[in-house]
Amino acid sequence: MSDTLCHRRTPAPLSRREFLTRTGGGFGAMALSAMLGEQSAHATAPHHAPRARAVIQLFMLGGASQCDTFDYKPALQKRSGEKVKFPVSGGTVASPGPVLGSPWEWRQHGQCGRWVSSAMPHIAHCVDDMAFLMAMHAPTSEHSAGQTMQVSGFVTPGFPTVGGWVSHAMGSASRDLPAYVALPDPVGLPWTGKAAWTNGFLPALHQGTMLNPSAENPVPDLFAPKSAQFVTPESARDGLSLLDHINRRHLASAPYDSRLEARIASYELAARMQLAVPGVLDLKGETDATRRLYGMDDKLTEPIGRNCIIARRLIERGVRFVQLWVGSGLNGGAGNWDNHNDIMPGSDFQKMCVRSDRPVAGLLHDLKSRGLLEDTVVLWTTEFGRTPYSQGSKGRDHNGNTFVSWMAGGGIKGGTTFGESDEFSYAAAVDKTMCYDQHATLLHLLGYDHTRLTFRHNGAERRLTDVHGRVISEIVS
Amino acid sequence: MPRPIILAVAAALAAQVRADDAAFFTATVEPILKQRCYKCHSHEAGKMKGGLTLDSRSGWQQGGNSGVAIVPGKLQESLLITAIRHTDRELKMPEEKLPPAEIAAIEEWVKRGAPDPRAPAKESTRQGVDEWWAVRNLAKPPVPQKFGAHPVDAFVRAKLAEHGLDLSPEADRRTLIRRLTFDLHGLPPTPAEVGAFIADHDPRAYENLVDRLLASPRYGEQWARHWLDVAHYGESNGFGMDRPRLNAWPYRDYVIRAFNDDKPYARFVQEQLAADALFPGEPALTPALGFVAAGPFNQSALAEQVDDTDCKRIALNLDRDDMVSSVAATFLSVTLHCARCHEHKFDPISQRDYYRMQAAFAGVVRGEREFDPNVARQRERERWTKIKQQLDAGEPLEKLDAPDRDHLAQATEPLRKTLLAQESAWHILDANFTSENPKTVVKRLPDGSSLFSGECGETDVYSITANVKTPNITALRLEVLADDSLPHRGPGRNPENGNLHLSEIKVSAASEDAPEKISAVKIKTAIADFSQAGWEIAKAIDGKAETAWGIHPQESRSHQAVFTFDKPLNHAAGTLLTVRLEQSHGRQHVIGRLRISTTTAADSATQKLVSPDVLVRLKSSQENSAAVQHALAPLLAEEILSAFPPAQRVWAVGGSLPPFRRYKPPKEPYPIRILARGDINRPGTEVTCGALDAVRSLTPEFALPNPKDEAARRAALAVWITDPANPLTWRSIVNRAWLWHFGRGLVETPNDFGKMGGAPTHPDLLDWLACEFRDNGGSFKKLHRLIVTSATYRQSVTADGSWRTDLSESPKTESARLLPSAATIDGDNRLLWRGTRRRLDAEQIRDALLAVSGKIDLTEGGPSAMQFGFSDPNKEVSPRIDYEGFDPDEPASNRRSVYRFIFRNVNDPLLDAFDAADPSLSVARRTSTTTALQALSLFNNRFVLRQCEHLAARLGRETEGIEKQIALAYRLLFSRVPDDDELRAVSAHAHKHGLANACRVLVNSNEFLFIP
Repeated sequence: MSDTLCHRRTPAPLSRREFLTRTGGGFGAMALSAMLGEQSAHATAPHHAPRARAVIQLFMLGGASQCDTFDYKPALQKRSGEKVKFPVSGGTVASPGPVLGSPWEWRQHGQCGRWVSSAMPHIAHCVDDMAFLMAMHAPTSEHSAGQTMQVSGFVTPGFPTVGGWVSHAMGSASRDLPAYVALPDPVGLPWTGKAAWTNGFLPALHQGTMLNPSAENPVPDLFAPKSAQFVTPESARDGLSLLDHINRRHLASAPYDSRLEARIASYELAARMQLAVPGVLDLKGETDATRRLYGMDDKLTEPIGRNCIIARRLIERGVRFVQLWVGSGLNGGAGNWDNHNDIMPGSDFQKMCVRSDRPVAGLLHDLKSRGLLEDTVVLWTTEFGRTPYSQGSKGRDHNGNTFVSWMAGGGIKGGTTFGESDEFSYAAAVDKTMCYDQHATLLHLLGYDHTRLTFRHNGAERRLTDVHGRVISEIVS
Repeated sequence: MPRPIILAVAAALAAQVRADDAAFFTATVEPILKQRCYKCHSHEAGKMKGGLTLDSRSGWQQGGNSGVAIVPGKLQESLLITAIRHTDRELKMPEEKLPPAEIAAIEEWVKRGAPDPRAPAKESTRQGVDEWWAVRNLAKPPVPQKFGAHPVDAFVRAKLAEHGLDLSPEADRRTLIRRLTFDLHGLPPTPAEVGAFIADHDPRAYENLVDRLLASPRYGEQWARHWLDVAHYGESNGFGMDRPRLNAWPYRDYVIRAFNDDKPYARFVQEQLAADALFPGEPALTPALGFVAAGPFNQSALAEQVDDTDCKRIALNLDRDDMVSSVAATFLSVTLHCARCHEHKFDPISQRDYYRMQAAFAGVVRGEREFDPNVARQRERERWTKIKQQLDAGEPLEKLDAPDRDHLAQATEPLRKTLLAQESAWHILDANFTSENPKTVVKRLPDGSSLFSGECGETDVYSITANVKTPNITALRLEVLADDSLPHRGPGRNPENGNLHLSEIKVSAASEDAPEKISAVKIKTAIADFSQAGWEIAKAIDGKAETAWGIHPQESRSHQAVFTFDKPLNHAAGTLLTVRLEQSHGRQHVIGRLRISTTTAADSATQKLVSPDVLVRLKSSQENSAAVQHALAPLLAEEILSAFPPAQRVWAVGGSLPPFRRYKPPKEPYPIRILARGDINRPGTEVTCGALDAVRSLTPEFALPNPKDEAARRAALAVWITDPANPLTWRSIVNRAWLWHFGRGLVETPNDFGKMGGAPTHPDLLDWLACEFRDNGGSFKKLHRLIVTSATYRQSVTADGSWRTDLSESPKTESARLLPSAATIDGDNRLLWRGTRRRLDAEQIRDALLAVSGKIDLTEGGPSAMQFGFSDPNKEVSPRIDYEGFDPDEPASNRRSVYRFIFRNVNDPLLDAFDAADPSLSVARRTSTTTALQALSLFNNRFVLRQCEHLAARLGRETEGIEKQIALAYRLLFSRVPDDDELRAVSAHAHKHGLANACRVLVNSNEFLFIP
C-alpha cells in the first residue's frame, strides 16, 4: 500500500512504520513535527492546570437580538409603543422608534430559573449547564468590526483569531487534522469571508481550515478535481513514491536545511488528512437517535445540525478549536441575525432561531452524555445586540451597548449569570464584560494566562486580549 | 534644535512673576511638586506619564494628553486640581491622596495665577533618543580596508573576520543565473538564457546579465510586488462590505513603472504621499496617491452608519490610523501606531508624535479620484466643472468670460427647441390623488398638480388614479414642484430642508372595459433631471424599500423624473392607470406637490430633462432670450462636460472627492486632538501637523502657511520624510532592498527599527548603503547592481564552511584559514558566510508554472485579471468569489500574478497556502511556512494540474522521445540536465502514466520550489 493524494476512492496512506523507516534518520523529529504543527504535546506549556482541552465557538452572525432571546425586561414589555429618549450611539438609523416589546413569550427555566424566550425552546432546557454573560458590550455597532472584534479582539482586520491563538498555544492533539477548523453556514461565508478564521500575523499553520461538508473538496485541494483526467490513483501513488526519491536525492546535496525535510514529511501528513477528513464527515456511524437530537430529521435544522455533529466529531478526534457559524453575510439582511425589518414570529429572526435552537441544544446534550462537555467549552456569541426601540415597526437596529453571550462546559459553572443590562436592555449596566474578558476566561480554562500568551510581531509582544481582559472567575466552577 | 523664539517668550514670562509670588512658589509649592509629582512627570525622572511634565512652567502650560493641566486663577478648569482632589473617578493623582494642607497650598498657588519663576525646561531631552541607533544622524562610514575592492564585501568580510570566518566560494553559473532571474524577474531563466550565460566568456558576462535583467519590464513587475506587500495593497475593501475596487490597478501600474523607470526614491515617496500638491502640473502622477488609500476600508461603518455616533467617529479615527500607521511603517520603519493609545512603551515616540502625524491625513477620504493625464484637457475640464458649479449656484452669465458666454449662447436656441418639442409630447393627467395618511389634505391646483398639506406623517404612500384615453402610453412623468407653502419651498415636506425620498414607484394598469383585471406595469428605465448623491432615481425602481430617490441639495426648486415602461400600454378602450408612490424613509421625506403626465413618445428614456421651473420660463413668451440662456446654461455646461472623454479614475485619497453616501471629506481638515488611551471620548490637547520629535536633525512641527490646506499637510510630511537628513527613511529603504535580495534584512524587522525590533547585524554596512543610495539619486537599479555584483550575493549555499580545499583557484585565498566549520559558529548565517536557499514565494510559484508550461501572458498593466469566478448579486454585501470553479484555461489565468485581482477577504487558496501577503496589514517580509495544505495544493490544485498538462504538451511539441522530453523538462524547471538515475526514474514514470504525471511529480519537488 502506498499513499495517494488524489482520489478519495482509494485512500491508502503509508503506514506509520513505513513512513518512519523511509524517513528515518537525517532530521530531528521534534523540529519537524513543530514545523508541521502535528505535535501531540503542547506547543506552549500550559501556565496552569487546564480545565478544558477544546472549544466550540458558535457564532450567530448579524447581531442576535438579546431582547428576544435571553434578556427578559418587564419594562420593555410594559412600555411597548412608548417613545423613550434613547441616545443613538451606532446603528443605521438616526432617529429611534418607540419601545418595541418582545413579541415572544418569556418563562423561567431549569433549577437556576433563567429567563428564556419562546424563540429558543430547546436551548431553554440547557440553562443549568450554561453561564450567561448578560452585560456584554462592544465598542462598535457595525457588523464586520463587531464580528472581527468577537473573533480576534480587534475591530480592524489583520489580527489572529481566537482559534489561531489556541492553535498557537496548544497545537493539535490530532496527528491527522489541523488544530483549528471553521465550519461556515452552508448558505455562505460570514461578513468578512475567510478572514473570519484568519491566522493574522501568526504562521499560516494557525489559520482555521475551512470545512465545507457539501463541496466536492470539503477542504480546498484535498483531492484532485475530476477535471484532471490524467490523474489516476496509480499515477498518484507511483508519483508520490518518485517524488520522495527525487526529493531525498536532492536533500543529500543540502543536508543542513530542515525545510527540505519538512516538505518531504508534509506529503505524509497531507495523505493522512485525506483519510481523516472524509472520516469526520461520514455520519453513517451516528445513530438515528443522535441524528434526531441534532435535528437532522428536519429540513430546516439539518444544515446546522450536520455541522454541530461534525463539530463534536472533530473535537473527539483532537481538534482544539471549532468555529461554527450560524448565518451568512452574503445575502445582505437575509439569512442571518441582522433583523432590522422584523423580529416577530414568522420572520427571518425566527427562522434563525429555529435553524439553530435544536442543533445547538442537541450538541450540548450530546457532548454532556458522552462526557465531552467536561473538557470542552461551548461558547455562543454574536457581534452585538439590538435596540430595545423599533426600526421600521417590527425590527430592531444594531446596538453595541449590550448583548448576551453564553458559555458552557469545560470548567464553566452551569446555571449562573453574570452582569445585567439596564431596565430596557439598551445598555450594559452592572458587571459589564467585553470579548477581552471572555477570551481571557477561555484561555484560562485551557490552561493559559492571557497576559502571558504572546507572539512577537512588528515590534510588539502581541496578545489576544491586547492590554485588556479579566478572567470572569464568577462563572468558573 | 532651533526653538529660540519660544524660549525667549517663556523667559520673558518668567521674568514677570512678582517677587513674593515667586517666593511662595519656591518655598511651598515647588517642594510639593518635587516630592509628589516629579517621580512620574519630570525630565529628571525621565517620565512624562500622560504626556505631562510638571518640572517647568511650559510643562503644565502645554499640558498632557488630557489637555492643559492648569488654567491660572481657575481651580475648576485646572485638571491638576481635579486630579489632586480625588473627586473624579477617572482622574486621581497621585495614587495616595495628598495631605489637605498640600492640596490647599497648590490651590492657593493656582488661585494666585500659578506664578512659576522656574527656568524654562531644557530642550525636551526625551529619554532614549540618544540611545536609539535608528535616529542617529547618517554619516558614511569608511569602507574597511584589506577586504577587497567591493564595498559590500569589505563590510561583510570584515565582520566575518571578527569571527574567524570568510565568504563561501561563488556559486556556479547555472545557479547564479537562476538566482538572479528569480530575484530580479520572479521567473525562471529559459534554457537558452542559461546556455548563453554559461557559454559567455566575456569577463563582464555577469554584469551584462544584471544589466539585461534590470532593463526588462519583468523587473518592475517583480519588485513592485515587494512594494505592494508593504503598502498593503488590495483591490477590495475588506471588512464586511468587501466591495471590489475596480480602479485600484493604476496605482499598481504606477509602482511597476516607477521601478522600471528607476524613479528616484525621494520622488517616489513624495508622489505617493502628495503628488497632487507637490507636482500639480503632472496629473498623470495621480495614481501614486493610491498608496495612502491602499489599505482596508470599513464601508459599512463609514458610509452607511449614522454620522456623529461613537461608532462612526471611531471608524473615522481608525480609517486615519490605517493611513498614518502605514506611512510610518513603510517609509520610516517605525511602529507609530503603538502611540495611538499611550506613549510608545519602548521607543521615544509620544502620543503627540502620533497625532500630529495623523493630522497630515485629517482632511482626506478614500475614493475614486478622477484624473486626466492630458494636462490641457484636464484644465479645460476643471474650468467647465467650475463654470457649471457657478451656474448651478445661480450666478449670472455675465460673470463668465466672453468666449464661454458666446459658446453657451450659440447652443441655446437648438436646445430650447428640443426641450419644447419634447414638452409638447407630454399629456398632463387629470388624476385623483389620495394619501394613506388620513390627516393629509389634498388640494387640486389649476396647473393639474396637487398640493399635499395638513399634518404630515413620518412616511406616506400616495395613490394616483387616472383614465388615459390615448393608446400606446410609453412612459410616465412625475414632476415634484416647488411651492411657497412648503418648507423651504419644497418640493418635499421635510421640515429641515424640503427634501423628499421616493422609495418606490409602482404602476399598475387595467383596460377600462375590464377594470378588475389589473396588472403591474414593469418600468424599464428611470431618469431624472437631478438626483441626490447616493439617492439616484434608479433607486425608486429597485424594489428595495430602504433605498430611494432624493434631491438634496437642490431643494426649493422643481424636479422631474421619467419612467419608461417595459412595453407600451395599449388598451383600445382606454387605460385605467394607478400609480403608487411609496415614501417610507421616514422623517417626513414626502412629496409636497406633484403632477403626473404620460406620453406616447418613443424617446422617453433618453430625453433631456431640466427642472420644470426652466420649462415654465421657456414656455412663457415674456421671457427674453437672455433669461432663456440663463435658464439653459447649466444644462449646456453639463453637455460640454459630458463631451470630454471620460476622465481616468484611480482608488486614491483626496480632500475634495465627491461624497460616498455618508462618507465625505470634511470642508476643512478635522481638528486632531490627542486622545487619552486612544478614546475618542477623551480628547486632550489639539495638535498641529507634524512628525517625530525623535528625529533631531529635523523640526518636528511643520510651518504651514495655511493649515486648512490638507494637501499641503501631506506635502510637508513627504518633504520631511524625504529630507536627506532624515536617517530613518534612508536606512529603512536600503534595509528593505537588502531583505528582498537576501530574504533577510540587515535589520531583521524591516517595519520596526525600534527597541523591540532587531538591531542591525551590520550597522556600518547599513549606513554606508543608506548614504550611498541617498547620495546617488536614490536609484534602485544602482543599488541592485551594487548588491548583486558582490561576492556576498554570489556565494554558494551548499557550503558548510569547510571549503578550504576548493579555494585554490579562488581569489579569496585568505579565507583558507577558515576552520572549523562556519556552520557551528553561525548556523543561522546571520553573518552571511554562505548564500541562503530561498523558497519561491507564492506568486513566483504560480508565474514559474505558467512560464514553463508556455502559457504565460506577458501583457503589461491594465485592469486586474480576475482569476476566479465572480458574481455580485447584492451590491450591499461582498461579492461571491469562486476559485475552485474557475477554469484555469481562461485567458485571465495566464497573466502574471502581480496583475491578478486581489480580494482581501477571499484570497486565492493556492497562493494563500504559500504564504501570499494578507493585505489587511503591511507585510514587510513574507513568512515561509511548510504545511500539509501546501502539499495538497501543489499536488491537487486545478490550476497546477492544468499547467502540468500544458507543460507535457509543450514537451511533446518541442522534442521527441520520452527521455529527451524529460531532459527538456529538467532544463525548463531546474535549469539543468538530469543525471542518468533521474532520467531513468522519471522516464519510467512517464512511460507508465504519461508525461503530465511526470510533470506533476517534478513541479512538486523541492528543487523546483527552492532556489539555491
